[in-house]
Amino acid sequence: MSSFSAQIRGWKTVIFALFLREWQSRFNDKLGLSWAFIEPALFILVLSFVRGKVSGGDVHSIPIFIFMLIGMIGIQSFLSSLNSVSTAIKKNKPLYAFRQVHPISAVITSAFLEFSIKTVVIVLLSLAVYLMEMPYSFDNPVLLIGVYLLLWIFSTSIALIFSIGAAYVPEIDKIKNFISRPMFFISCVFFSLQDIPTAYWHYFNWNPVVHFIELARYACFTSYGKAGVSLEYAAMCSLVSLFFSLSIYHLTWKTILSR
Amino acid sequence: MIQIKSLTKSYPSTQGRQYIFKDLNFTFPTESNVAILGKNGAGKSTLFRMLAKSEYPDRGQIITRKSMSWPVALQTGIHPQMTGRENTRFIGRINHVRSLSEYEKKVQEFAELKNKFDLPVKTYSSGMRAKLVFACCMNINFDIYLIDEATSVGDPHFRKKARKTLKDKAKQAGVIMVSHEIDQIREFCTSAVIIKDGQLKYYKNLEEAIEIYTGEK
Repeated sequence: MSSFSAQIRGWKTVIFALFLREWQSRFNDKLGLSWAFIEPALFILVLSFVRGKVSGGDVHSIPIFIFMLIGMIGIQSFLSSLNSVSTAIKKNKPLYAFRQVHPISAVITSAFLEFSIKTVVIVLLSLAVYLMEMPYSFDNPVLLIGVYLLLWIFSTSIALIFSIGAAYVPEIDKIKNFISRPMFFISCVFFSLQDIPTAYWHYFNWNPVVHFIELARYACFTSYGKAGVSLEYAAMCSLVSLFFSLSIYHLTWKTILSR
Repeated sequence: MIQIKSLTKSYPSTQGRQYIFKDLNFTFPTESNVAILGKNGAGKSTLFRMLAKSEYPDRGQIITRKSMSWPVALQTGIHPQMTGRENTRFIGRINHVRSLSEYEKKVQEFAELKNKFDLPVKTYSSGMRAKLVFACCMNINFDIYLIDEATSVGDPHFRKKARKTLKDKAKQAGVIMVSHEIDQIREFCTSAVIIKDGQLKYYKNLEEAIEIYTGEK
């Protein structure tokens, strides 16, 4: 049995190698790496801009453009990590022939890659906002970063559960697509929870993504308020799903290898 | 020496659980180059993959102190979109090769890929891919090399070289090979293990094993 630090080093090399591999194979077309950042940035920018033009002004004290931007980044982070992380286990199947490569290494790699891409996208978007001289603010940066990290823990855990599920029942992928589509519309991306009558909140605020997005808006503009959402709920959802997914993984990973 | 202790391995199927090994106890010799013989579906590849720890048994253990290669088959770990060099570096990295650039050079030379080494693997012929995988494996020092039949692809010249390298390696390392081609087994191995009905039997003399194996058919 090798020592703990040797094992950590081993994991680091494997994940680094997988990361480079993913990187090289994903971006070796003509557009290359730049596309990975430009595509989501443009998508978010255009949609936010159009929404801003359709109904200008503020949404509960946040400029509509920034409001949309935060919502779009939130939902895109969730959906894109759900999509690519949940296929990671299946996609890297041939690599499990190497005993050093475990299914979880593929999941960690893919989640980390998505996370890095999204973070760069956020930096690009912030730069755009700054250059266009739009009003912006980061009232509570610690909360913002915390919410962002929790969102990633949450999305990766959910994706891991789907990923394990798909290893047993391939049809899970179809169900995942079916479920993830409406997420775009019920996660308070285009509207605020505060626009909805309190009586109907329970239809929306079961969804942790709503909490992440609304909290991120609150972190940027304290005046927006955080009616109907709570950090505790978001954090608990993340932790519970993290432990749940890791336990399932721990129970099943050896069987996944033989499938 | 590889010890197999009360090993059980099964696969689920629509016909119920298919048991390949049930409570198997065996000591796998590794002093000489061993061939694994058995009919299709006898469990050759499963045993092979379990030895390599690419798969794990349902119950029981496989205990060894030797370092083992990955199961070297035609396509393992090769990404068609990536170049030969990138693939080599990947394999080198996860196997903790000391000097990647040196390893790269050795593989390029051994696989005889020349400037094709920097082209995506999807442009390679199947023979060239096999050469690349084989070269990647041979340039890392393991105690035991696990070689699948797929590596037999390749021209006579390369096969000769492969045989020579394997023979050299066999001085300090063991080779375990799975193949259906008797000729190839004769080339590389000196003893054999026959799998039959979920049981293993070791034959020190390869010819004796081949006789029993071919006689069975």
